[in-house]
Amino acid sequence: MSQATNAPSPSPMQTILAFDTATSVTACALLHSGAVVGECEAEAKSLLVAADSLVRAAGLQPSDIDGVVVGVGPGSFTSIRIGLAVARGLALGLDVPVAGAPTFAAFAGGRAVIDARRGEVFTEDGVSLPGDLIVEGEVLVGDGAIRYRAVFEAAGAVVPPDDDPSHRPSAALLVGAAGHFGAAADVLPAYFREPDAKPSAG
Amino acid sequence: MVILGLETSCDETAAALVTADGVVLSSVIASQAELHARYGGVVPEIASRRHLELVAPVIEEALATGGATLDDIEAIGVTSGPGLIGALLVGLSAAKALAWSRGVPLIPVEHLHGHVAALYLQPTDLEPPFMCLLASGGHTLLLDVQDRGWENVRVIGRTLDDAAGEAFDKGARLLGLGYPGGAEIDRLAKEGDAEAFTFPVARVAGLDFSFSGLKTALLYAVRDLPAAELEARKADLAASYQRAIVRALTERIAEAAGDGPIAIVGGVAANSALRAALPHATAAPLALCTDNAAMIASAARYSARLESPAFLGLDAHPQSL
Repeated sequence: MSQATNAPSPSPMQTILAFDTATSVTACALLHSGAVVGECEAEAKSLLVAADSLVRAAGLQPSDIDGVVVGVGPGSFTSIRIGLAVARGLALGLDVPVAGAPTFAAFAGGRAVIDARRGEVFTEDGVSLPGDLIVEGEVLVGDGAIRYRAVFEAAGAVVPPDDDPSHRPSAALLVGAAGHFGAAADVLPAYFREPDAKPSAG
Repeated sequence: MVILGLETSCDETAAALVTADGVVLSSVIASQAELHARYGGVVPEIASRRHLELVAPVIEEALATGGATLDDIEAIGVTSGPGLIGALLVGLSAAKALAWSRGVPLIPVEHLHGHVAALYLQPTDLEPPFMCLLASGGHTLLLDVQDRGWENVRVIGRTLDDAAGEAFDKGARLLGLGYPGGAEIDRLAKEGDAEAFTFPVARVAGLDFSFSGLKTALLYAVRDLPAAELEARKADLAASYQRAIVRALTERIAEAAGDGPIAIVGGVAANSALRAALPHATAAPLALCTDNAAMIASAARYSARLESPAFLGLDAHPQSL
């Protein structure tokens, strides 16, 4: 869908809540007029605790939020859904638009490698075995880079120390990479894998 | 003022509006049964993915068909467990976000309390005390219900192995019927002779149930019949199998209740033979037997309200509390 170039540009969004729950660290950020007002980390189940504290610290109310940016994965299936379900709940409750961004965009300082469990990792190229990635001379960041440090270092990559901040996602970084703001239902999860089709016990 | 109920514990995505007096303004259920039928059971990851797609649309439809807007919602009741953890978290996360953004309380609801609270909706509006049989695909419980809250409900009997609904599902699979099995067996049993086969139900001590031996008996009966005869006698098998389950359930609840009032809830309470066998029991309306959100909103009326920020870090729990 192309947009008419002479259409009036939408008014700039004042207050944006951004978050990513897909990886082992949930990141949340509040932006006002394009500037980062606050950022914090939490567990996925406590995403709204983090959001509430950021909004309050800024002297705002939830109803002051004008838009939501959410990391759509890849990462843990359940965690991705927590983020997207919160985004959909906020969009419904506040009548605000939502934009999605790949979780890779929450990482700076290197190529993002996300732990995909089952001995595999997610990169922007898809799902791979750590040993199959060509990483020579690259800086790798993220929980997958930490987990398979030995494999990647043996392949000639640089993995910063485990406690280096570059391994943790930043929700503020998502905003720059977000697609257009629209209906929450149009922001889809990036699972990168088909579900295991096995019925639950019983 | 209205309570919004939300339920995503298994394979139904449901939202409903219920008034403080228990009038159901709307009850929307998006069933995923077809999605799971080819696997013969609920696939947790497929269910969770579908819940995410459906959670906002079912809420919007519940508001629209209930003739309400979000401004009319005074509190949100949501199933926090037990159930499939990934499925529960979709509904709980959306409900927390909605409650936080609207500035209304959140009420976490026990799914089993919800089943019982289906009886507190209009026009049933059953007043405790009563003895309640809760029978579904995941649970078979005898409950001594003293009041409408959940804290004082006492479990006096439970299944030691399969749930009654599970017994129906497994029986249906053995007979080559569809999923969910309860409705299929109920339908086929109407054409069969319930006396044709004798399926023994284990008598266990106290007020507990055991259904695992029953499916083995059916397995043997199916195995011992020649293929041609099996097809002809399927209805008899279904009727006899159903009768054995219904008898086990009715005997136990009669034993527990004595002359006192009896109620039946849960998916198995939709079974026509069970309803017929307990003519004096109060049964939840058919539409409120299987998972729905009206029962969750109803239970929310008798559960603790949490204000923000108390509910923001709430987690789902897969097991019964």
